[in-house]
Amino acid sequence: MTPTPTAPDGLGTLAGRAFAAYRAGERERLSELVDLVTPVLWNAARSQGGAPAMCEDAVQTAFLQLVDRADSIQEPAAVLGWLVVVVKREVWRLARGARREFGVDEVPEAPAQQLDPEAQSILSERQRVLWKHVSTLSPRCQELLRVIAFADRPDYAAIAESLGMPVGSIGPTRGRCLQKLRTTLGTDPGWAV
Amino acid sequence: MTSHTDAIDARDIANLGHVRDLFAHADPVPSDLAERVKFAITVHALHAEVAELMDSALLTTRGAEAEVEPTPTESVTFTAASMSLMVTAAPMDSDETEDRVRVDGWVTTPGARVEAVTSEGSSSVISDANGRFVLDDLPHGPVHFVVTDPGNDDTRPVITPTIQI
Repeated sequence: MTPTPTAPDGLGTLAGRAFAAYRAGERERLSELVDLVTPVLWNAARSQGGAPAMCEDAVQTAFLQLVDRADSIQEPAAVLGWLVVVVKREVWRLARGARREFGVDEVPEAPAQQLDPEAQSILSERQRVLWKHVSTLSPRCQELLRVIAFADRPDYAAIAESLGMPVGSIGPTRGRCLQKLRTTLGTDPGWAV
Repeated sequence: MTSHTDAIDARDIANLGHVRDLFAHADPVPSDLAERVKFAITVHALHAEVAELMDSALLTTRGAEAEVEPTPTESVTFTAASMSLMVTAAPMDSDETEDRVRVDGWVTTPGARVEAVTSEGSSSVISDANGRFVLDDLPHGPVHFVVTDPGNDDTRPVITPTIQI
């Protein structure tokens, strides 16, 4: 029942396979890659606090960079992590306007996740409880949980690494962020049903 | 008592599922984002000239503001500096192929190569001496056209916005 940590069909694996095929000349496989990873990239972008239009631009730019640099990417299998990093940097760069005095490696900490009042109003009662608990976690944990929730378990480690989390802190184990979420939800009688 | 060094279990998987549902519900991926990314990649890869959609009454592009799925296209004209393209989409006649679409078109360049890029891949034809062409057996859904002129290497390809057929 529980998926094994080595499941071969995780999102990152599928994305890596599509990208490798694209590089080998199957140009149409790029569409498959776009369809597969756009939800993860959207959430990686939005978790940086960028406005929706800015996040759409960042996702688009990341793919254009991927096309331009396709042949120089050393590990096609790690393409998902590569895209997450580029999207994150792109949102950060756009948010800073055209100012270039910052190195691209200085990616700042993600802000705490925000939901518009409008978005909050459409949540179910249970989602509202969950949101309350998610909001109590550190911004770093909020970002990590948001992004890995859109990937698959085999990819947690790679995505955590691309978000600047040491792999050892998550890997095949639960990791501190998931543990905190589990604990805070577990202490809420309103969550347990 | 659980610890962060334990293996991920079913409850963690369920919690992540709830987090995913929360954000997917409160901050959904724009429905046309993936299609627009694909379009941008194609334009970028071809260094193409982007045709404008004319006949705004029949406008069916997938824009950011579209709140409803566009209605199926009947006839649409695109123009670019170097050419114009008109396409008409209709269901195919026979019973076995009623889920498929036939596109009749006309392009201002005779002998142009017209490629229809759909969710199933792409198919292309060469327009005749009058610029007419037929692309049949296309799937319903988003499509964009790429027009190149095999007889003239100097011209850039022209790419149209995505429409629904």
